[in-house]
Amino acid sequence: MLTLLTLSWRNIWRHPGRSGALLAAIIAGLWAGCLTVGAMNGMLKQRLDYLINNEITHVQIHHPQFSRDPYPRHAISGGDQIKSWLEQDQRVGNFSFRTLTDGMLQSAIKTSGVRIRGIDPPSETRTTRFHEHLIAGDYLEAQVRNPLIMGQSLAQSHNLDIGHRIVLVFETLDSELTAAAFNLVGIFSSASEHYDNANVFVRADDLKGLLGGEAIVHEIAMMLHDADQAATVAADLNAEFTGIIAQPWHELSPELQTLVDYGQVMLLIITIVIMLALAFGIINTMLMAIFERLHEIGMLISVGMSRVRVLAMILLESLILTLVGALTGMILAAVTVTWLKERGINLELFASGLAEIGYDTIIYPFLQPGEFVLIVFVVIVVTLLASTYPAIKAIRIDPLEATKGK
Amino acid sequence: MPVVQTRQLTRTYNPDTIPVHAVRQADLCIEEGEFTSIVGPSGSGKTTLLNLIGGLDRPTSGSVHINGTDITGMSDSKLIDFRLWHIGFVFQHYNLIPVFSARENVAFIMLLQNRDKDEIARRTDELLDEVGLEKRKDTRPAQLSGGEQQRVAVARALACEPKIILADEPTANLDTTAAMNLLDIMTRMNREKKVTFLFSTHDQRVIDRARRVVRMLDGAIVEDSCHEG
Repeated sequence: MLTLLTLSWRNIWRHPGRSGALLAAIIAGLWAGCLTVGAMNGMLKQRLDYLINNEITHVQIHHPQFSRDPYPRHAISGGDQIKSWLEQDQRVGNFSFRTLTDGMLQSAIKTSGVRIRGIDPPSETRTTRFHEHLIAGDYLEAQVRNPLIMGQSLAQSHNLDIGHRIVLVFETLDSELTAAAFNLVGIFSSASEHYDNANVFVRADDLKGLLGGEAIVHEIAMMLHDADQAATVAADLNAEFTGIIAQPWHELSPELQTLVDYGQVMLLIITIVIMLALAFGIINTMLMAIFERLHEIGMLISVGMSRVRVLAMILLESLILTLVGALTGMILAAVTVTWLKERGINLELFASGLAEIGYDTIIYPFLQPGEFVLIVFVVIVVTLLASTYPAIKAIRIDPLEATKGK
Repeated sequence: MPVVQTRQLTRTYNPDTIPVHAVRQADLCIEEGEFTSIVGPSGSGKTTLLNLIGGLDRPTSGSVHINGTDITGMSDSKLIDFRLWHIGFVFQHYNLIPVFSARENVAFIMLLQNRDKDEIARRTDELLDEVGLEKRKDTRPAQLSGGEQQRVAVARALACEPKIILADEPTANLDTTAAMNLLDIMTRMNREKKVTFLFSTHDQRVIDRARRVVRMLDGAIVEDSCHEG
């Protein structure tokens, strides 16, 4: 075996230029592939974390009909019992009660459709990190009547600034239209421009009063100590209480699950592309190596080297070449990803485009150890498969080749 | 028991279209310790006969026995194994492994035989010393002259302790000095160690050294004569 290894290793370096070119291609391909996968992991995780930490949380409770018909009358009943259940359950970290309705925002220059989010700022601050996106003013703490915060893009489109007044028009519990003036006290800028244009925040107590009910709650959002418990907690809530529906994040936001699935599909496509390039590189290099060595392989078979050993020699040559390239490429990728994990990849150049789809402009790539192992495993399998054809060509060589002129 | 015995050995190429009779009903018997040349003009069938005896080619009809074993019907893998243990080859173009040193080329055959490492090392040194390459053991083929490469090839052929060494035009690519040197070595091996050699050649220098000359013409053995080499 040692002799075969030595022979294979030296055969690889018989043409340093050719082997070096294939090695460089493998290293570059794996490095770029790992980096792309790492960046994609980072983008998806950041997006997922962002949405969970800032908007949807791990589990939400609604009236069963609220998601289909978000009328004010579809409010959660038994809020107090739910509150005490949440306070006692060890799995629940923080939670926030929200009052929601859809309505129209009127300024001096135009009208926009918005979702009006009535929140309790202290509990909302404990539950989500949305307050970190406030870029001007305060988080509904101003001692003014009916304070409101809105997204920067919405404020700019209405030519509004802090201190300006706007009017919100919406339906009450009695299905009557009502209007109320609100004072702009803060401006936020989240990762998604679409979200900024479609949502305004007011104090829940102010909204409740205008809707016509004191204990009206449309949404209870909660963060858990362990995100993996989301489905279990939701199931327990559904079993405990009637007239509500509790849903984990992936049910609340199917597009998030789609995003995760999409990421896995992209990972698969990138891997397939890299592996196809690798396979063709190996087939090409090994076929060239074999056609150049017809005499030599013929001689080896003539003097008594079994065809199984010839097969092993060719497979070893491919495997050694690929493993050296793959491991080098992955070490380089690991170093690069680790370095970028701290510093991030700055995509400021595409800031506006990324904001439209809700992604951060700085991506922090990362790779799971399992992904490294998987890539090495796939590389080995692909190499063995790709070198099978050249190896079969090699073992079919007639020993009479050894007697022919060079 | 003869080392080589062929009976009515025939090799016909393209039997179904335009048949080419490379070897016709050749009967040949080589005893242990012989130093035999197969001679004849180009295309007379020398190399084909040697390939058939060495199990590199399959006869159309007839049989080949090496040391009493009929190799004609052997499977490919058994034939490869048989060659490893019983037949040494010296090719016209040396055919050494270019990435191995002289030492490694000789040792390689014994490694394929899974011999003991100490024995391999000792025997490799002995063989290279015998062919006069004691100072070139760690040199790769590209740095050796043609004559030196062919001497490594002889040492490699001897490594498996074969019943017979088949040499196809071993001096064809060598100058006179290198050719005479190689022939001296092979003659000495034959005389001292009773190694059986069978050459195909049209090199008069080899023919002059042979104690037996088998002449071929158009695939048939037309003359078989013995003389003092």
